[in-house]
Amino acid sequence: MNLFQPEPRGAHTPRPTLRSDEPQGEVEKGSMALLEVENLSVTYAPRDAPVTRAVQDVSFRIREGEFVGLLGESGCGKSTLGNGILRLLSPPARISGGRVVLDGVDLTGADEERLRGLRWTNLSTVFQSSMNSLNPVLRIEAQFAETFAAHRVGEEVGARVVELLRMVSLDPGVLRAYPHELSGGMRQRVALALALALRPRLVLLDEPTTGLDVVVQRNILDRLATLRHELGFAVLFISHDLGTVLEMADRVMVMYAGEIVEDRPAPDLVREAQHPYTRGLLGSYADPRSAEVRVSYIPGRPPDLSVEQPGCRFTPRCPYAEDACGQRRPELRPDDGGLVRCLVAQDGRLPRTPAGAGPGLPVFVGFPAAAGLDRSADPPPEQAVGDPVLLVDDVTKRYTTRRGLRTTSVDAVRGVSLALRPGRVTALVGQSGSGKTTIARLVTGVERPTSGQVRFTAADSTTEVRVDRLRGRALRDYRRHVQMIFQDPFSALNPTRTVGYALSRPLVNYHGLRGPAVRERAAELLESVGLAPAGQFLDKLPHQLSGGQRQRVVTARALAPEPEILIADEPVSMLDVSIRAEILELLGKLVRTRRLAMLYITHDLLSARLLADEVLVLNHGDLVEQGPTLEVVGAARDDYTRLLLDSIPNPFSAARRPG
Amino acid sequence: MSTPVPAVRAPGADTEAVQVATRVLGRGTRLPGWFVILWRNGKCRLGLLMLAGFVLVAIFAPVIGRYDPRDDDFDTSAGPSAAHWLGTTALGEDVFAQLVFGARTSLVVGIAAGLLCTVIGLVVGLTAGYLGGWLDEVLSFFINLGLVVPALPLMVTLAAYSPVRGLTLIILVISVTGWAYGARIKRSQIITLRTRDYITAARFAGDRTARIIAHEIVPNMTSLIVVGFMGAALGAIGGEAGLAFLGLGDPQTVSWGTMLNQASLGGALLSGQWAWLIAPGAALALLITSFTLINFGIDALSNPHLRED
Ligand SMILES: Nc1ncnc2c1ncn2[C@@H]1O[C@H](COP(=O)(O)OP(=O)(O)O)[C@@H](O)[C@H]1O
Ligand code: SF4
Ligand SMILES: [Mg+2]
Repeated sequence: MNLFQPEPRGAHTPRPTLRSDEPQGEVEKGSMALLEVENLSVTYAPRDAPVTRAVQDVSFRIREGEFVGLLGESGCGKSTLGNGILRLLSPPARISGGRVVLDGVDLTGADEERLRGLRWTNLSTVFQSSMNSLNPVLRIEAQFAETFAAHRVGEEVGARVVELLRMVSLDPGVLRAYPHELSGGMRQRVALALALALRPRLVLLDEPTTGLDVVVQRNILDRLATLRHELGFAVLFISHDLGTVLEMADRVMVMYAGEIVEDRPAPDLVREAQHPYTRGLLGSYADPRSAEVRVSYIPGRPPDLSVEQPGCRFTPRCPYAEDACGQRRPELRPDDGGLVRCLVAQDGRLPRTPAGAGPGLPVFVGFPAAAGLDRSADPPPEQAVGDPVLLVDDVTKRYTTRRGLRTTSVDAVRGVSLALRPGRVTALVGQSGSGKTTIARLVTGVERPTSGQVRFTAADSTTEVRVDRLRGRALRDYRRHVQMIFQDPFSALNPTRTVGYALSRPLVNYHGLRGPAVRERAAELLESVGLAPAGQFLDKLPHQLSGGQRQRVVTARALAPEPEILIADEPVSMLDVSIRAEILELLGKLVRTRRLAMLYITHDLLSARLLADEVLVLNHGDLVEQGPTLEVVGAARDDYTRLLLDSIPNPFSAARRPG
Repeated sequence: MSTPVPAVRAPGADTEAVQVATRVLGRGTRLPGWFVILWRNGKCRLGLLMLAGFVLVAIFAPVIGRYDPRDDDFDTSAGPSAAHWLGTTALGEDVFAQLVFGARTSLVVGIAAGLLCTVIGLVVGLTAGYLGGWLDEVLSFFINLGLVVPALPLMVTLAAYSPVRGLTLIILVISVTGWAYGARIKRSQIITLRTRDYITAARFAGDRTARIIAHEIVPNMTSLIVVGFMGAALGAIGGEAGLAFLGLGDPQTVSWGTMLNQASLGGALLSGQWAWLIAPGAALALLITSFTLINFGIDALSNPHLRED
């Protein structure tokens, strides 16, 4: 028996009889609003900071079975809105106005008891962090049992759980596992299965695949699309990644500075976005396989919502802004087929975008070709290629783990050779677990290879350094030449230390600078990564900076010792899509102007295409493909490379859209 | 129910966030940020005020107590009177003076043993957690040993068999039995912090291990250290009172524990000297209450969701 075939509701589960609250009448089921949000506002009123109005006067509806995307940069209020709908806000946040009505029940007025009954049965959720919030001391089995028990579903739990796991493509074997024994993608799928366990009618997904690998992400999204067709639940899908949102959703709402600025069916949005902000977001996408790849970004960041701002909030970043925009606040008004909040668009004066060409709207800052990010088909001039500074020669790294009496060994990397040259970017592409990080550890001397050599030759010398033999003092000296840019800008800076302190350490240790000279040089470094005026940043703590600014600080710190080699391990994967391009542009510029050799580690082929001269594809420790970027990306020969390419969400390919 | 929804944080799990909050709060005032957070919590404020009261009493004991607590020139076993507010002991000492001086002993033991426990816990926890390897295994063995051996019987045994009696001994005995809990928490915290990218970054910036521990790790643990100190001090105060009540205390020192011991030996119950019997117990209970109240604020310190802001 398939439990999830549409059958009369309540046949198996004693469901709270909410349906009786529904308005009477001959309303067709498909067009009925399942969720109604009316003028919802949420404010954060912390004691030590000014009041922030994170969500302002938001209204929308979600129909039964509809898949709605909510898009916007981080800090625009998406998660606050989601938590407001779920009534999961905790102080200092509170709902300061409006209503949320789910299936006729006013959630804003409901008490905790009522909400508990509704959560999971009618409304459930998966967060980005859900995979980390499974109870660590309970087996997966017990977590399901608890969820069912809490809602008094007694019978047939076993069969039902297996069915749920099958739905998210997990083996029933995971039931015996503890959460930490599963990978991030598996845990996220468990979280999804739990969210669907009681067959909710609305599922709220908040960045459910952010931070996961492209292939895993693709897998989860495909499952989600199929399940939704089978089970017919409605989805509110929150993400900053417009690739996934546009690909999945029927209708997309774009949120900026706490307000909905555009609301439109997904295909229309891809074809002709009406709000300048949406157009800006779309510009950060491109197909890495095309001969010419051009991406753009919106300069600046969303405004500080604790400051009252007259007129349109997007004015400072908007290339279409007019005088009126600064004074008059646009309303969210219907236009053909959707809603838009822009004075110029409402007057029909917004220039049309060329049909079919989504990406690379020239009105936003585009990458100048010189910066190396507007890649055309011509290969770079050969004379620019210098001698390698680092050679990895037939390296194998075997990890042996002892667990009780059994020893198991894994080859994290097998027989890999590569060369890093000044002024060139070498991309190392592969899924997580493919051995990318291991290679970075071998290059930096953190690990030694089991066999093979790693050799370094400084630009101003001819003597070779055997990196695989360094220890102690010599290793410390070598590190001056090899620096790292980390994946997570939130963990790469000590939260209790100022930017100035972070930058001062390499200057003191490697250049022997003292006193005011340190501060002076630190300021220069900040300006070189585009943080100006530097004086304003030196005394800031990391949490006062945005993700992009932090990544710039991390880059400045890596540049401080004046290294020859820069290792960047997924430097943009944790950043908003809209600022990725900005950081990639900075890295590209630094490599070329300072003649750095860069090893760029990523699972994202679009960024590799934009930044790298050469691409190496790694699969389970083996190098499966290697060559100039355009060749590898444009005409992938290896199946695995093709899988990686196919996994990239692509809003512009109509072929993938289900239905 | 196991909802993947709101994850409840383990206390002390988010020490970095706490540290950031405390640094931010500390910037505006000259007070340390952790104190600002504590002060804002109503219960904690009451506890801090009570504790301040005890500290003042301890400092000004000679003025407040009026008599020397060891002066036995008075009537023996007298009930409360204008001259002796809580009466006199069987030896003819002033009970009120003893009560006031007893606050000194409790606080000195609390602070000294609390500090000692914290220092031992920090050194052991830092070494085991940061260096790892066989050293960690050895130290963890001792930490676990310290955790499973029941503290009170060990304290009693150590105190009973030691050839000398004195406050220093009491402090040492309490510290030896009480450091392990803090060490375990600090060790696991370091293991979390050690894997942060900023530690790797510091190594790439050329910093040495000692500097990394002192400048990158410890600043992210100060609230944990304060929490540990408060817990250890509370345990020490209770431990001292217990040992003294069992007659294993320092006979030269006036403390609430010795008072209770003398009161029961001196027949306070028979002579109906309720004040003598109740006062030291009540004082101890009040001091413990003040620590418990402060702990409410400390929970808020380690769990931002409980903070009253
Ligand atoms: N310290 C280690 N001990 C045991 N196995 C490891 C260790 N580090 C990595 N591995 C294994 O090596 C393989 C490659 O891992 P990694 O280099 O981290 O890949 P990636 O960077 O692509 O995520 C994985 O199978 C992983 O389990
Ligand atoms: S109202 Fe003006 S500033 Fe705002 S988005 Fe439209 S054109 Fe830009
Ligand atoms: Mg990795």
